[in-house]
Amino acid sequence: MRIRPVGSIVAGIAVVALSFGTARPALAQNSTARGPYKVPRTPDGLPDLQGIWQVRDTSAAYDIEDHAGALGIPPGRSIITNPADGRIPYKTGALAKREENFKNREMADPLNKCYMPGVPRITLMDYPFQIFETPKYTLITYEYIHIYRTIFTNGTQHLEGLDWWNGDSRGHWDGDTLVVDVADFNDQTWFDASGDYHSDKLHVVERYTRTGPNTLQYEATIEDPETFTQPWTISINLYRHTEPNFRILEYECQAYADEAAKSGGQ
Amino acid sequence: MASNAAALTGKDIGMSSHLLNRILATAGIVALLSLVAVPCGAQAAAGAQAPAPPAPQSGAPGGLGAGPGGPARPPAGGGGGGIFGAPRHVPGGPVQHLADGHPDMQGFWNAANNGGAVFEVQNHPTPRQGVPPGKGAVVDPADGFIPYQPWAAAKAKDTFENHLADEPELHCYESGVPKQMYVQFGFQIFQPANYFVITWEFMHAVRIVPTDGRPHLPANIKLFEGDPVGHWEGDTLVVDTTNLNDRTWYDTVGDFHSDAEHVVERFTPVDSTTIKYEATVEDPKTLTKPFKIAMDFYKTNDPKYEQMEFGCIEGNQDVQHYTKDKGGAAEVKVK
Repeated sequence: MRIRPVGSIVAGIAVVALSFGTARPALAQNSTARGPYKVPRTPDGLPDLQGIWQVRDTSAAYDIEDHAGALGIPPGRSIITNPADGRIPYKTGALAKREENFKNREMADPLNKCYMPGVPRITLMDYPFQIFETPKYTLITYEYIHIYRTIFTNGTQHLEGLDWWNGDSRGHWDGDTLVVDVADFNDQTWFDASGDYHSDKLHVVERYTRTGPNTLQYEATIEDPETFTQPWTISINLYRHTEPNFRILEYECQAYADEAAKSGGQ
Repeated sequence: MASNAAALTGKDIGMSSHLLNRILATAGIVALLSLVAVPCGAQAAAGAQAPAPPAPQSGAPGGLGAGPGGPARPPAGGGGGGIFGAPRHVPGGPVQHLADGHPDMQGFWNAANNGGAVFEVQNHPTPRQGVPPGKGAVVDPADGFIPYQPWAAAKAKDTFENHLADEPELHCYESGVPKQMYVQFGFQIFQPANYFVITWEFMHAVRIVPTDGRPHLPANIKLFEGDPVGHWEGDTLVVDTTNLNDRTWYDTVGDFHSDAEHVVERFTPVDSTTIKYEATVEDPKTLTKPFKIAMDFYKTNDPKYEQMEFGCIEGNQDVQHYTKDKGGAAEVKVK
């Protein structure tokens, strides 16, 4: 279990030094000997990102920064590509709440109450999701507690005054990349299971780029002037399920929790 | 919107109105109303441009009569609809077709208020415990009643009388099939290549219907929404759903099925704003024969309409508000 040095500049520098240069490079497999990967098109002529996708590096869902393994926690490298030290650029004083969250994570992690994970955490979780495209909407349906996100690609703007777990997603195509601007968040979700958090000023810009027949690069730039000193970016690879009978099923957290409570009470 | 929901809790029952107590005792309806209250209020206030709280809760603004289509709702072409009154219906032009040749059913839809099916799917000519009378949506058998086996009829009756706190949506479960099709707030249809996908605001439910002829899942995988597999017969989408679990109801008053339920649905667009919907329900463990429901879906004609985020467990207090005599936790004071 990683313990983050709190308030110790010296220790902080040491950690920065240790992790310097280890930030995960963005997926760079979008070219082959035969030239760059040509993203196929849907029948509507859109870059085709459709399919069932899932992370392979499941450690980021536990902690998006560099961390060692612990009981039930797979070790992993930071998925933060900016800043280069791979650390979340918390403002002075903001780390204390993260430490508090970490300490109380069993009760405090919204996922342990079956709440919606928010963005980008939902992408990092070890459950598949499916992308569908139509000219006006890109729809992402997640196996985890049947969440779906309707990404408007019809030129509409964010609504105002919302306060949503998964935010309000408006997208556009930047070449072959789907760019999704997500705003209108509440302050209730975390980035991972280690207590990394944000305020309701969170603003996320996601970029979905297909880099091969079975790979997608997912990048998210995270802005929250109340919590961070600067915007920061994560990048992780998604892999397409090619098993012919693979399906999005159901993971019904609340129903299972109720079941467990019932059988525990008998 | 007048707020009755806050008063409609077991803790707050101080009124001597026998009728009100009867309504309160029908906790499923209370839960239903309170779930209705917030998102529909947001929609009704200013189309899709209104703020919505992170999660609807019991005790939120709204209440009896404030539901979609209810008297407190301004006549707008938005979503909602289907509980107290039919959503607005604007007759459409000819059915449009997509490039793949299939009819274009994309957009936002609501079940017409087919006899209050979401309250009680079968014929319910006389009011009981807060359920408004209605014809329901059962068209076969002709009497409009679910052809239960005797033990199943007895169980449904007992559930209504004593265990309404078991109502699945109260616990934030998805609605199952066919009920999913007539829940409040309506649904959006997407038709990406080789799929027919439906998303609901209510409980952020989803049905992904592949139309590529794939086989069903193995029988041991049971799902709240089952495994829907579709195919086209002309302009009609036929959806065969198996692998359903036994944890959903047909309505809000205890009408139930087993995990042997099998549903065949037919979606037939008759014009650009109307879909004729039929579902034949088979369940040899609970029924003496299959029954069929039928209703219309109406297309939302507000071009600005969008679905809101619907939190449920994130703020759910319904279980606490269910009265003890219905299996909940709240006290009932009867004067």
